[in-house]
Amino acid sequence: MTSSPTLAAATTPPPAAAGPLAARAVGLRKTFGSTVAVDGVDLDVPAGSVLGMLGPNGSGKTTLIRMLLGLTRADAGTAELLGHPVPDGAARALPHVGALVEGPGFHPFLSGRENLLRVAATEPLLGAREIAGAVDAALDRVGLADAAGRRFRGYSLGMKQRLGLAGALLLPRRLVVLDEPTNGLDPAGTRDVRRIIAELHDGGATVIVSSHLLAEVEATCTHVAVLQSGSLVAAGGLAALLESGTGGLDVVTPDVDLALETLRAAGIAAYSAPGDEPGVVVGEDGPPTAETVALLVRAGVAVQEARRRRARLEELFARLTEETS
Amino acid sequence: MTTAPVLDPVSDAPRAAPLGRLLAAELRWVLRRPRTLVMLGLFALIPVLISIGVATAGATGRGPGLVSAVAGNGLVLPIVALTLSMALLLPLAVAMAAADAIAGESAHGTLRGLLLSPVSRLRLVVMKAFGVLVVATLATVVVAAVGVLAGLVVVGGADGQLVTLSGTALGPGAALLRVGLVVVFVVGQLAAVGAVALAVSSVTDHPLVVLASVLGALIVFGVLSAIPALEWLQPWLLTSGWTAGVDALRDPLPLGGMIESSLRALCYVAVGMGLTTYRMLRRDA
Repeated sequence: MTSSPTLAAATTPPPAAAGPLAARAVGLRKTFGSTVAVDGVDLDVPAGSVLGMLGPNGSGKTTLIRMLLGLTRADAGTAELLGHPVPDGAARALPHVGALVEGPGFHPFLSGRENLLRVAATEPLLGAREIAGAVDAALDRVGLADAAGRRFRGYSLGMKQRLGLAGALLLPRRLVVLDEPTNGLDPAGTRDVRRIIAELHDGGATVIVSSHLLAEVEATCTHVAVLQSGSLVAAGGLAALLESGTGGLDVVTPDVDLALETLRAAGIAAYSAPGDEPGVVVGEDGPPTAETVALLVRAGVAVQEARRRRARLEELFARLTEETS
Repeated sequence: MTTAPVLDPVSDAPRAAPLGRLLAAELRWVLRRPRTLVMLGLFALIPVLISIGVATAGATGRGPGLVSAVAGNGLVLPIVALTLSMALLLPLAVAMAAADAIAGESAHGTLRGLLLSPVSRLRLVVMKAFGVLVVATLATVVVAAVGVLAGLVVVGGADGQLVTLSGTALGPGAALLRVGLVVVFVVGQLAAVGAVALAVSSVTDHPLVVLASVLGALIVFGVLSAIPALEWLQPWLLTSGWTAGVDALRDPLPLGGMIESSLRALCYVAVGMGLTTYRMLRRDA
């Protein structure tokens, strides 16, 4: 691991991790022939969080999700779902889990509603009398109520995706796993997915969403896990990760020269800020914000504003995935 | 965090949907599938076609062979139709159902959905075996029922009696009982085909592979049983006793052939279902 400073900051458990875990991977590994799809991944998903799973194509996101859900047996390591070992405890955990993995799977000759009725019939937590109501509510929630009677065969890609989402939302879940939920969706559909994730989050459910749409993850997630070639290269709270990303501190001040002099005298790397606003940029190895500001103020520098640089998730992602490749 | 108490793992009992509901869902799925319905319709045509053939040939005189036994002897028709369909058509139908049951579901991505619900892997095998057995039974019953009707309406004769190959006559009740016996025998043989087809279905994502291997195996069995030097293989070949259904047309009824074939089928069912279960417990979905 070359990115030790990043990782050290990133793997510090965020406050939410103190509570129970909705999912956990310990040393998960999976190979297909000579290809290592997932290589020793340790991941904690705190209950109530929205975890964005990021990674380039083929980085092992889906395989990791499939192992967590018990669809694929891991070659090494253990997976836990809602506190139960997977796959052995799947009968305890999975009734509370809704998932859309590897695209929506339905029968083309059945209508959307009939497909969902079939899925609902196999849901352990749905009573026989609740099935029809649950199906209609789920169809309504994903905006498919009008197309429910049409055959799945005739659905557009976005409608298929919506039906898959409805399958995951048939009943209140504690954990919802969405693998590329916005695939094939139009902007309205993407907004719907974002709204649904927010609703689930507000209701206390945990959401794991894999995506390559970074803006999507940045908008909806509280936590992030970044996979690269089957390894976890960063994981933690979104805010912490973004802050640890650059670490630089922007100080806005008219006394640029004095500030630089003071900082350099204290052995802190700094340079004058590019751009129109006069100020300095303190390097990422510098002391915490408060200390730096105190130092400057004591030296008589007029500090107008100081703010930690926050990277865009896109920059962070590019850096993390390029570093290790 | 309000979710904390709910996440107490001890309070989660293992849950499963009632088996009856799973079987009902499977039944609905099998019967809603257009190809199942088309297939059943085509099976209904088989006895009708035979009866028409016999009726028109009847005007010009009788030829030799089993089919000619149908002439003027309506209740023979269902048994003859079943024996003829047994050669290839009924196994084809069962193989198709088994191919859709696992390989087809996997190809559609719906197998994943079932396992995520969750349906336990053992119950999934039960569900799928049930669905295939239903198709086998329905197809057989359709051939037999339409055979009885067509036999009485189109062929008629013998005053509703069944004249056996041995020359004696049976009343309609006894005759129907014999048709029922052949139906049970045929369903048993088809269950063996279905079990093996399910085993193949559980290792592949391609329904066509299942069809090809089952039909290929039946053809190879046919070839093997035609080679005199390989006669010692006969007791192992599923197809060896498939003509035993015709025994029901003899008087007194020789049960030996049907019993031997049924025991052989039972062995195939055991091996096929064992392999299916073994594989389904490990299969990635």
